[in-house]
Amino acid sequence: MKKGAQAILHFLTEQGIDQVFGYPGGAIMPLYDALLDSPIRHYLCRHEQGAAFAAIGYARSTNQVGVCIATSGPGATNLLTSLADAKLDSVPLVMITGQVARSAMGSDAFQEVDVLGLSLSICKHSMLVLEPQELLPTLQKAFQIAREGRPGPVLVDIPKDILTGLVPESDEQAASATAMPLAIPAQLQTANQLLAESQRPMLYIGGGVGMADAVNELRDLIDRTQLPQVCTLKGLGSANTDHPLYLGMLGMHGLAAANLSVQQCDLLIAIGARLDDRVTGKLDEFAPHAKLLHIDIDPAEIHKRRQADVSLLGDLKVILPQLHCVGDKQAWREHVSELKASKAFPYAFDHSPGQIDAPQLLRMLSDMSAANAIVSCDVGQHQMWVAQHMQFSHPTCHLSSGGLGTMGFGLPAAIGAQVANPDTQVVAVCGDGSFMMNVQELGTLRRYRMPVKILILDNQRLGMVKQWQELFHDERYSETDLSDNPEFSRLAAAFDIDSDVICCRSQVQTALERMLAHQGPYLLHVQLDHKDNVWPIVPPNTANHQMWEQPK
Amino acid sequence: MNYQLEMLLSDQPAVLERVLQTTRYRGFRINQLNMQPAPEQLASRKLKVSMQVSGKQPITILTSQLHKLYDLASLECRTALSPSIERQSTLTQALPRTA
Ligand SMILES: Cc1ncc(C[n+]2csc(CCOP(=O)(O)OP(=O)(O)O)c2C)c(N)n1
Ligand SMILES: [Mg+2]
Repeated sequence: MKKGAQAILHFLTEQGIDQVFGYPGGAIMPLYDALLDSPIRHYLCRHEQGAAFAAIGYARSTNQVGVCIATSGPGATNLLTSLADAKLDSVPLVMITGQVARSAMGSDAFQEVDVLGLSLSICKHSMLVLEPQELLPTLQKAFQIAREGRPGPVLVDIPKDILTGLVPESDEQAASATAMPLAIPAQLQTANQLLAESQRPMLYIGGGVGMADAVNELRDLIDRTQLPQVCTLKGLGSANTDHPLYLGMLGMHGLAAANLSVQQCDLLIAIGARLDDRVTGKLDEFAPHAKLLHIDIDPAEIHKRRQADVSLLGDLKVILPQLHCVGDKQAWREHVSELKASKAFPYAFDHSPGQIDAPQLLRMLSDMSAANAIVSCDVGQHQMWVAQHMQFSHPTCHLSSGGLGTMGFGLPAAIGAQVANPDTQVVAVCGDGSFMMNVQELGTLRRYRMPVKILILDNQRLGMVKQWQELFHDERYSETDLSDNPEFSRLAAAFDIDSDVICCRSQVQTALERMLAHQGPYLLHVQLDHKDNVWPIVPPNTANHQMWEQPK
Repeated sequence: MNYQLEMLLSDQPAVLERVLQTTRYRGFRINQLNMQPAPEQLASRKLKVSMQVSGKQPITILTSQLHKLYDLASLECRTALSPSIERQSTLTQALPRTA
């Protein structure tokens, strides 16, 4: 028999987990004590939210379960934002929190909060271990639930006395897997019939493709059918960006050709996507001429936002190879291709003096960085520019907080990704506002000397909110001015991180080259014009084809 | 529209809160609620919950989410036309839980 704390670490090792993120404290101390004798490498972040985002970065960049650890009370409440983030983006995560000893529970003990109660609506599942013999079976279940079907975060709350007491070995064999849906042959046939009958079919690719490890199956499908494709924020990287009918991201800040083609299609094939409101714009007018073929692993997504004409429930890896598209779609292909050419983004690759253009800078960065480089970002205008103008070779290369849109995601997620991929180029594209939300993680970079590159796109504004104030609130700017930002390079220097600052176009290429070639961590502070906005934009409650493509 | 839901739940911490929270979040009101240990399943500590709910959305919006609860063993849903439990049609769903 082992003590609870040792048993947990032993269990994690058996699961193949050798790197975890966390922050110690009273109730979780026994686990931290046991860590000293364990082969597991623990990364100390500087805030539990940072630790959890690092675990998310680890998970999203590898498609494996990420693990983070925190103490009871404030440690656990600090995890909650990241827990919700992982829930909304379906990230496989196991969070372990310490709880006060069972004898003290329910007495408003020091650092006691009802974490289980707080977690319910923001995770895939959560469990409180109340008996020593439940500890290992609970962990087993937690990993299984985090991974199976549509992945998601699981929280396990463990009282301190269970960590210090002896727990029996788990005699339970791997819990039997939950039965997953299997697409029915008759429905597959109907789906293929819809494909054959359609004149203007369109693939709408979501994050589910990457999470199902079905990128190759998707690319095969595209090769076989030569259908045009659009991606959601989380779907980016799934399709081959060089394909002539690849149209990029759709939705509120989608590219014009992507949105227009979806509005014109007569069959929308949603693959691992959930018709999120940022994608559809005004729902009643989204793809108004299209039948919907909805393919997903989660039954609750089918008919949730729009009635599907045909749905296929199951593993995309199994379903996608069974889809075919016969019939003549050549006119449609040509039409989409023309649309793509006519709406191509006009990058101004000039080296003239003048303000830096963020889309152009990001396109350059995309071209200059390694093909398998991992880019994380924060939330705001810069995040949309990354999604519009950078190209990704795989969904694990693009880490962006989609469903929750959590500022402060970029830096800690990059740290987690670098831990998981020590030899890969990792760049965090941060907003000046968002960066300050988890700026303490510079301390983590310093501690482990990880070569993460930080690119701050500084418009001295909460730019996305400012854009909405400008366009939809009569230019009434309320609390979005950040012109008193700290000097970011001096901030970096305090953490022994080299840096550079640029403000004009002619400096961009050299600065990016220097950043990418730098050996250790590096911060590049890019000063932008605060007036720049993200285009196109679909105004609220408007159909996607009525997007505004440029400033009025 | 009124619906009668019959659930068998495993008696885990917070299981009732999960059901109630899911119901509220997905936009349904609870009109009647009854809970008791399932007599035929005493050994496995199961709870039987009967709940009458009403809401504007199709009931599958709620039932498909309840199906995701790991502590839910079974769920049956009937349409009740009047607030008193009038079982008009039976609509049982067998959905795998995946998220
Ligand atoms: C934690 C959190 N708080 C508030 C918001 C609302 N919000 C969305 S974008 C944004 C501005 C972000 O500013 P910055 O990081 O500088 O990015 P920019 O839009 O300027 O590129 C804000 C405040 C959010 N998404 N997350
Ligand atoms: Mg900004």
